[in-house]
Amino acid sequence: MRLLVLSVLSVALMLVDARLDTLKPVRSQLGLVLTPVYWLADLPVRLWQGVTEQFSSHSELLAENEKLKAEALLLQRRLQKLATLTEQNVRLRELLNSAALVDDQVLVGELIGVDPNPFTQRILIDKGEKDGVFLGQPVLDARGLMGQVVEVMPYSSRVLLLTDTTHSIPIQVNRNGLRAIAGGTGNPERLELRHVADTADIKEGDLLVSSGLGQRFPSGYPVATVTEVIHDSGQPFAIVRAMPTAALNRSRYVLLVFTDERSPEQRASDAAEAQEAADQADAATPAAPAAASTPGEAH
Amino acid sequence: MVGPRSRNLWVIWLSFALALLLSVVPLPAFMETGRPLWLALFLSVWTLELPHRVGMTTAWVLGLAADVLYGSLLGQNALILTFITFLVLSLHQRLRMFPMWQQSLVLLVVFGLAQLVQLWLNALTGNRPPTLLFILPALVSALLWPWVYAALRMIRQRLGVN
Repeated sequence: MRLLVLSVLSVALMLVDARLDTLKPVRSQLGLVLTPVYWLADLPVRLWQGVTEQFSSHSELLAENEKLKAEALLLQRRLQKLATLTEQNVRLRELLNSAALVDDQVLVGELIGVDPNPFTQRILIDKGEKDGVFLGQPVLDARGLMGQVVEVMPYSSRVLLLTDTTHSIPIQVNRNGLRAIAGGTGNPERLELRHVADTADIKEGDLLVSSGLGQRFPSGYPVATVTEVIHDSGQPFAIVRAMPTAALNRSRYVLLVFTDERSPEQRASDAAEAQEAADQADAATPAAPAAASTPGEAH
Repeated sequence: MVGPRSRNLWVIWLSFALALLLSVVPLPAFMETGRPLWLALFLSVWTLELPHRVGMTTAWVLGLAADVLYGSLLGQNALILTFITFLVLSLHQRLRMFPMWQQSLVLLVVFGLAQLVQLWLNALTGNRPPTLLFILPALVSALLWPWVYAALRMIRQRLGVN
C-alpha cells in the first residue's frame, strides 16, 4: 500500500518536474544545501592540491614561473595583433553600417563538482543566482566554449557540457564560414557534426567557432577542431568528428559570459537608433536608411 | 508506534549523510561507471537490521535528497530507492537467514532491477547510455555488500542503535 502511494507520488513529482515550471523555485532553494555537500566531497582533492603546492620545490616553482612568463609573452604578442585587428574590424563594420561588437563581460567561477552519473556530462560550479548567473548562460574556459547553465541555485549552478548527448551547438567553420550543428556524443573528447553534406568543404584541422545563430552562445568563440572526416558512400551525410578545444574534463576555472540580454529585434532597433543619432550628428552627409543596421551577431 | 524505545537514531542518519556524500565524491573516470549504489546499500542494511525504523518512507525522503543532489528529475531516485526498500522488506525474513554470498546474489538481482528502472527513466529524459555498462554499479554494490553489511552491523551493535 505504502509502496503504491509513494510510487504514485514519485511519478507525479517527476511529471510535474519534467513538464511544468512550478517546481523550479523549490528546487533552486533545495539546491542551497547541495553546495556544502559537494564542497565536502571535493575537500580531499582541495587538501591534496594545497599540500602539493605547499611542498612543491623551489626549482619546480621557478620552472612554472618561466613557463608562465613565456606564455604571457606569447599572449601579449597576440594581443598586440588583436588591437590592430579590432580596430580594423570596427572600421569595416562601420563601412557595413552594422553595430559594433561589444566586448562580453565575464565572471570567473570554480568547479566544485562533477555529475556522479557517468552517462551525463554536467558539472557544478560555485557561482549561482546571487552572482547573477542565469539560465542558459554560456560557459567558457581559457581555450573555448564549455557549455551552458541548465540549473541555477542560490550559490551554485549546474552546467551542461557541449559533449552531453542532449546538447547541440550551432557552429561555423572558421576558415570558410560553413555552418553546421555540433552535437555531443557523451564522450568528453568528441563532438559530431550533424547533417554535413558529403561535398561540404570541411577537412581535418579546421577550427569550428560558435556561430551565434541559436542566440544562446555568443558568436566567434572556438568550440572544437575537426579530427576526422569520413566519407562513406553508404551514408547520406559525411561523418565529421571534432575534439572540443576547451578542456572539458580538466578545467577547474570557468568563465561565465554575460552577453547582451536584449532580444535581437530590440538590439536591431537600438542599433538603428544609434546609427540614426550618429547620422544626425554627422550633418555633412544625408541620413542613411536606419533599416540597414543589422544586429552585431547576425553574420 | 508501539515497540522498543528508539536509541541512537542519529547514527542511521549520519550513515545516510555519509552515503549521500560518497555518491558524489569525485572519482577517476574509469571508476565512475562502476560507482557503487551507496544509498541503496546503506538503506538495505538498515532495513534488514531495523525494519521497524527504516522503511519505504525513509527511502523516499532520501531519494528526494539524492535527486536534488544529482540534478535528476525530482522523484526519480525516490521511486527507485522505494522500490529497492520494498523488495528488501518483503524478502527480509528470508534474507536474514541466508549466508552472506546468497544475500549478495539476491541483492545483485534487486539492484540490477533497480538499475534497469533507472535506465528506463533516464531514457525518458533522453540520457541513454549506449552500452550494458549501466548494470556495473549493481555488480560492484553486490560485491561490496558483505563488507558494508558487516561494518554497519558492527557499528549498530557497538553503539546499541535501536
